[in-house]
Parts: sequence; C-alpha cells; structure tokens
Amino acid sequence: MTVAQAPKNDLLLDPGFMARLDQLDVMSRKLLAGKMKGERRSKRRGQSMEFADYRNYVVGDDLRFIDWNIYARLDRLFLKLFLEEEDLSVYVIIDVSRSCDYGNPNKALYLKRVAAALGYIGLVNYNRVNIVAMADGIVAETGALRGRRRVGQMIDFVSKLRPTGASHLASACKRFALAHRQKGVLVVLSDFFDKGGYENGLRYVAGGKYDLFAVQCLSPQEIEPDLQGDLKLRDMEDDDMAEVSITQPLIKQYKANLNAYCLGLKDYVTRRGGTYLFASTSVPFDTLVLNYLRERGLLG
Amino acid sequence: MSYWPTFLNPWAAALASAIAIPSLLILYFLKLRRREMTVPSTLLWKKAVQDLQVNAPFQRLRKNLLLFLQLLLLLLLLLAFSRPVTNYSPGAGTTTVILIDRSASMGTKDPDLKGLTRLEEAKRRAKDLVETLGKNAQAMVIAFDETAETIAPLSADIPALKRAIDSIQQTDKKSRLKTAYQLAEAQASFNPEQLRPGVGTLPDVWVYSDGRVTDAAELTIRGNLKYDKVGSDKTGNVAIVAMNAKRNYERPTEVQIFARLANFGTEAVNADVQLTVDGKVRAVAGTSLVPERWTEQQREKATAKDSVEFTIEMTAAGVVKVEQMHKEGDALAADDAATVVVPPPKNLAVLLVTEGNFFLELAMKSLQLQNPQQLLPAAYENAKPANFDVIIFDRYQPKFLPPAGNFVYFGATPPDSKIKGEPPVYVPKPPKEKKVVGVIDWKRDHPILRHLQLGSHGFADPIKLTVPPEAEVLMEGPTGPLMVMMREKFSTQFVMAFDVIESTWPLKPSFPVFMHNLMQFLAVGSEMDVRPQFEPGSTPRIQRALLQRVAPGITSVRVNGPAWSKDVPVPANGDLALPPLDRVGLYTTSPALPPFDQVAVNLLDFNESNVVPVDQPPGGVGDKIAEGGGKSRLELWWWIVACAALPLLLLEWWVYTRRVHL
Repeated sequence: MTVAQAPKNDLLLDPGFMARLDQLDVMSRKLLAGKMKGERRSKRRGQSMEFADYRNYVVGDDLRFIDWNIYARLDRLFLKLFLEEEDLSVYVIIDVSRSCDYGNPNKALYLKRVAAALGYIGLVNYNRVNIVAMADGIVAETGALRGRRRVGQMIDFVSKLRPTGASHLASACKRFALAHRQKGVLVVLSDFFDKGGYENGLRYVAGGKYDLFAVQCLSPQEIEPDLQGDLKLRDMEDDDMAEVSITQPLIKQYKANLNAYCLGLKDYVTRRGGTYLFASTSVPFDTLVLNYLRERGLLG
Repeated sequence: MSYWPTFLNPWAAALASAIAIPSLLILYFLKLRRREMTVPSTLLWKKAVQDLQVNAPFQRLRKNLLLFLQLLLLLLLLLAFSRPVTNYSPGAGTTTVILIDRSASMGTKDPDLKGLTRLEEAKRRAKDLVETLGKNAQAMVIAFDETAETIAPLSADIPALKRAIDSIQQTDKKSRLKTAYQLAEAQASFNPEQLRPGVGTLPDVWVYSDGRVTDAAELTIRGNLKYDKVGSDKTGNVAIVAMNAKRNYERPTEVQIFARLANFGTEAVNADVQLTVDGKVRAVAGTSLVPERWTEQQREKATAKDSVEFTIEMTAAGVVKVEQMHKEGDALAADDAATVVVPPPKNLAVLLVTEGNFFLELAMKSLQLQNPQQLLPAAYENAKPANFDVIIFDRYQPKFLPPAGNFVYFGATPPDSKIKGEPPVYVPKPPKEKKVVGVIDWKRDHPILRHLQLGSHGFADPIKLTVPPEAEVLMEGPTGPLMVMMREKFSTQFVMAFDVIESTWPLKPSFPVFMHNLMQFLAVGSEMDVRPQFEPGSTPRIQRALLQRVAPGITSVRVNGPAWSKDVPVPANGDLALPPLDRVGLYTTSPALPPFDQVAVNLLDFNESNVVPVDQPPGGVGDKIAEGGGKSRLELWWWIVACAALPLLLLEWWVYTRRVHL
C-alpha cells in the first residue's frame, strides 16, 4: 500500500480509493434486526428465498406459505418460514472536539477520512448510515442515509465538520443512545481524551444493541512528544494549564501513562464485547481502512 | 595529625551564603519563563507530573540539573571564600615570643622531615606561625643554644620577621633555655600588671626545640609557653660521646687515643671506628653498640663494646681524627667525628758544654734549634743556666744541674745519679793503649735508633757504665752499656759511654740522623700533652705575649673554620679573643699562632647527641602543642577554584548549550 493511493489532502475520498472501497462491506458480528428490506440477513423470518423453519398454522397466517405437501401427508397445516433480509444500521460517531485539531498529520482530518470511508462503504451496500459528530454533546448528524445516491450528501456533511468545543463523551453517548434505538454497528472515532473519563460515555453504547468498534486515533506528537525545556502546556479544549519541566523521567512517565490509558480503554471495550483499534495518524489512512479495519472484522 | 580543614573566614562566608544561595534560588525561579505550548490534553501530563512528584520529593529541584550545577558552583565559590586551610595551627597571640633552638641536636635530619634538619623544620613552623599574626599583633624572634640571641625585636612586620627567622644559622653548641627565657622576659617588656589574675594577657612564648636542654630543672617563665616538639622518636644516631688522647709517659712518641661511642637509635648496631692522622687512615676498630634507650635489663643481656683504644707512634705533629663509620640511619653528623691536635716537637733551646768538639758543634748547627749556645765548662758553672731544654755535656760531669730538663752526656756520667761510670768522665788513653769496641746490639725499634745501622761503628775506650734496672739500655757493647736513657725526678738523662771524637760514628751519616732523632725525642717528651679540645662555642684567647713573640705588629688574624673563614682584627692592647668556634671541626689561624694554629672543636656531648626528642616541655613548664601543630598551612581556596569550580563552570556551560536533563 502506498501513499499515492491515498486520497489527496483536500479530498476526503478520491475516486480511485472509493472504487477500492466498493468491494468492502460493513460486517457485524451480531445478527441484528433491520428496519427495512435490505441485503443483509436478519433475525426476523421473512420472504427471502432461503428456507428457515416450519411452524404450526394459526388463524390469520398467510395461506400462501402453507406447505400443502405436508398437509397432504399428515393432514395438518404447517407454515413454511423463510429468512428475512434487512438493511444494517451503521453509526459512525466522529469526535470533532478541539483536541482533535492537532498533530501532523492532523487528527481531525484523519478521523473525517475514516468516517467518510466507513459511510461510503455503508451507503454503497444499502446500509442505513448515520454519521454523528460529537464534542461536548452531539453537534450534528446526518440522519439515516441509505443508498449510493446519498454518498455526496454524506461526504459534504463530513467535510464541513469543524473542531469545536471540549470532549464530553458521556453526554454525547448518552444522547446518542437515547436517540438511536435501532441496533447496528457503532464505530466511535476519537482520541478518547476526556477528563470526565471515557467509561462514563462508553457505558451507554458498549454491549447491548450496538456492535461497538472504538478507534482511538492519536498523532505521532502525542505518542512520542518532542518537547524540551520548561513549558507551560495549555489544553486546547478547556485552556487548562500545566507547568512542566521536561526531563527524561517525565517523558518516560508520560509514555507509561499513555500506554496505561490506551490499555485501559482497550480492556474496557473488549470486556464489553466491543473491538478496540489504536491508530496513529502516521499510519497511512488507506492502510488503516483496507488492512486494519478488515483485520478487526469491521469491514469484509 | 588532622587534615580536616580550618576556615579562616567562616563568618563572612556564612553571611555570604545566607544572602547568595536564597538569591540564586529566587532569581532562578523568577527568571524561569516557561514557553507556552498547546497540547490536545493536559490530562496525561498532569498525571505524569503528579506521579513523579509522588515518587520523588523535591522533584522540582532535583530534575533541573542546571540549577543544581549553579548551586554547586556557588557553594564552591563560597567555600573558597571561607579560606579553608589544612594543617592549621592556632595562630599567634597579640604578643608572641618565638624561641628557636639552634643547638647541635637541631642539625639532626629526621627521616620524616624529608631531608630537612630540625632547625629548618623549626624555622618553617615558626614562619607559619608568623603568618598568622593578626593586625595589631607583634612577635619577636630569639635563637638560643648555649646562649640566647635576639634575632628580631618585637615587630608586626611579617616579612621582616620571616627574614629574621631565615637568618638563623645552625651551631653545634649545647642547648640552654634559661637565658633564652630570661631574654624573652626582658625583651617582651612584660607588664607586671599582666601577672595579676584577670588583668591583661601574658604573651605567648613558642619554643621550637627537640627539648634536649641542659638546664631543664632551672626553668621558669611568665607567659603562655607553648612547646612545639621538633623531631621524631624513631631517629637513629651513633655518636662519639667521649674522646681523649695522650702520650705514653714512658714512650713519649706513642700516642694513645680513647673513644667512647653511644647509640641513640632503636636497634643495636655494629659500628666501625676509623682513626686517621692528617687524613691518612692508620687504624680501624669495631664496636658493638646497644641503644641507650634500652632498659638496664635489656642492655645487660646484650653484648656491647662501646669504646675503642688506639695506640700509634707519632714523632711529628698531626691531627688525629676518630670517626665512626656507621652512617646508615645516622641523623646527626656533628658527633660522628672528633679530632685532636698532637703538637709538633718543641723547638728546643740547646746548650753545649764542651772544651771544643768539632763534630758536636757541626751537628748542632745542622739541627734547627731555637737557641743553640755553647759554653766552656767553667763558664757553665759560673752562669748556672736554667732556661735550656737540653744541655749536652761533652766529656764533662757538671757540678750544677738545673732541677728539671734533659741532659745528654757524651763520654761522661751524670752527677748524683744512679748511673755510675768507671771512670765518671772519659779519659783519653795513648794511641797504643786504645781499645776500640763495637756494638753488640741496639734497640732497633726505639724512636731514636730506628732505621739506624750501628753495627759497624767502633768506639775507643768507652766508660764502663753501671745502670740501675729502671734505666733503658739502648745500645750495648762488649764492655757494657754504650747508650743509656733514664728518667729521674724531673729530668731525663741520656748517657753515651763514649767520646764521639774517639769513635768512627761521627763520620757516618747515621750520626746526624741520630742527633736529629734524639732532639725530636727530647722535644716530644718535653710536651707530653696533646692540645686541648674545645667545646663548640668556645672563644679561645691568644695571649698578647704570644702574639708579640710569634708575629709582632700583626693587625689581623684570619681564622679558617669548617663553616666559615673570618679576619679577626688584633686589638692594640690586651689579648686576642677568637670569635666563637660554633661548629665542630678543625680551625686554623693564619699566620700560625701556636698553640692556636690548629684548634680542634668537638661536640662530645651525650645530651646533644641524644636525638630522641623530649615529649613534654622542658622543665614541665608550659603546654605541649599537639603533633602536627604548626605544620605547613595550605590554603585550599585556589585548589577549589581550579580543580572544582572551573570544571563545574565548563560542565554548566555544556549543559546549558546542550540542554541536558536528568
């Protein structure tokens, strides 16, 4: 995979890359009920061509599904059941807090590209795609989009997202969970730097009705800080100040804390049936989408 | 010895520290302008800082190397400012009297003084003391040995005092402290008020000595006496502590030399003693010396031989030197040798009493005699001369003899003597009746007859001598003794039984040799004593009469010694006193002024040769300075600056430029 195949900076997705994404689909480890007819097997019994089971006839059942051959043999009415095919809800929560507007490559751009790619894959596979921007709450969302025709709308929405406000994962997730009761695949794209703690937010969306994928995205400058001297560090989100004198022990301690933080997040997510993925913005975007997300089972 | 440094300027340094260190810290924190940087979240940074602070108290200070280096540099500079010194002794007081021992024992080169003598070490310590003089303090310097001398009066001029100390010269004299103390008391202008309790302060009196003084029992001093012992207990020294030389009364040409040695070291040694005469080795003897510091029981168990005796033949003048040759571990050289001057034979006044004797007159002329005279027997009897060293009677038996002297008889016998002759005086016989006799034997080893061949001589009709047993027969013929020597009362009789005219001897070369030997022998015998030995510091007086006799009109005498050479002006009247002969060795005068032409000065002092220093102050007066006190004072401040502060400054610069962090 080369950088040349990745989208240009000013484009979230370039046509060549979109063509490659056409071959992918959003996968869910759960059989989730959809809302409309679609291309994905549902838990419900329906009218597809695939036989599922028999059951006794009850009054009111559609007579077209009675198995007359069995009636002839057994003189009892049995109803033939078929698997239903419905659409899949794909939720993408993208963190647009100010902390994401950092690093080189920029975290916010990176997150938007991932969100756009996931949205594109969902739309072309006739899934119900909903992209939600969050900061200190839900900032904006596309609403349910379906079909290839909505790709333009989706990309337009994502590209217009601007970093704003502080992270407040708890309120955002809570509102999301209350507003979106339809089961589906939920991809949370964030750095998960929330002073209130990611646990308070993720507990609304982990387990239960969502098949959770938590993608933590950090810039190289956060992973390997290149700081020197006596510094006054200003938090981008809340303008909180931290006075530090950079020393080797401090850097070492910072890295240890970061590692512990990420491991804690991973542990929290996986224990609740979710999937955790760590991504550095130094990893080419297409590598993340085409390789890492496939390896984690989000795309197939 | 403590190497812990002492601070000369502690309070100033403490004050500077109290101001400078907080100032640095304040300035450091004030100057700390933190660069502002934006980060996505301070969450992890704050947590990291908190974690470090939990695990490391003072983390804020500890983590900044630069601040620590600056603090360390400042502390080093402050330490240098406090003027730390090592080997520091308490300083001099307001009035300080410095007494420096320059006696013989202070010439000892202790092994731990690295080639310095004790006097040089004492001078060094005294100079260190002088350097500690305060602003209003004064010090004076007195050097003492047998006497005391003010080298520098009370002064606050430190360079002048140090120069005065440097000018003190070693002597080989004994050591007496009493006069030094008296001089110190007199010169320091002790105020009687000081003696009252609580009134005034007594001066400090510093004594730099090995404590080997002869008058320890008589010492008292008004002052705070501080005794700084110089020297080591482990120093060894083999010394000649006694020496004597004398002529054998029976055999005046024989000189006997006695010497006693002492070992002041810690181990028993075998020392050879060498005897030289005028620089030529004549004999060597061995001794076995046990240390003087051993107890009586230890000394009894060991076999010791601490004295030697030499016997040598000396008919001429000479300088006899006895030297101990055990130089290894010998710290004091002044007592290794002792000299004695054996005087030359006297220049004799000789009187020949004869009717006329060509051979004897000729022989007397050939001898270098002081006052040769000749008298007829009758004239002699009339004159009754008494001031001649030797009187030769030729065929004449005198009626008068001086009460003492040397008397030589040719063809005659002494009057009223145990030596009898038949006839008493040689009587010539007619030629036909003459009977010539030869020599049967003679004493070949006697100084008079040594190297002479007398066997072929003939003597006509010698007197037949009857000699007592105490007489010494030097030559014997067939008819009896031909040559006899005997000492009677105050006289020496030398009797030849023959007439020299009536013998073949005068025509032979051995006769003038015999006459010369005879005069030498009698001259030596007339001065049995060797020259006196002088103690170091003696000032021999040359009598005016001697000066007039030897060198009339002389204006100055040059004295050449082992350490110096001086011209001594001769006073117009009175005796000439030579300057103090303060070093051991041989002194000569020019022109020669016998018996002061050669003067031997020997130490021969048990107390001075004992190089074991005394621990306590002499006479128990005063305090002993702790060992190491008064040693060289080393200022450490520039070592701190050069070896620590400058490298630290470079390190700080490097850290600053490289932004190195802990």
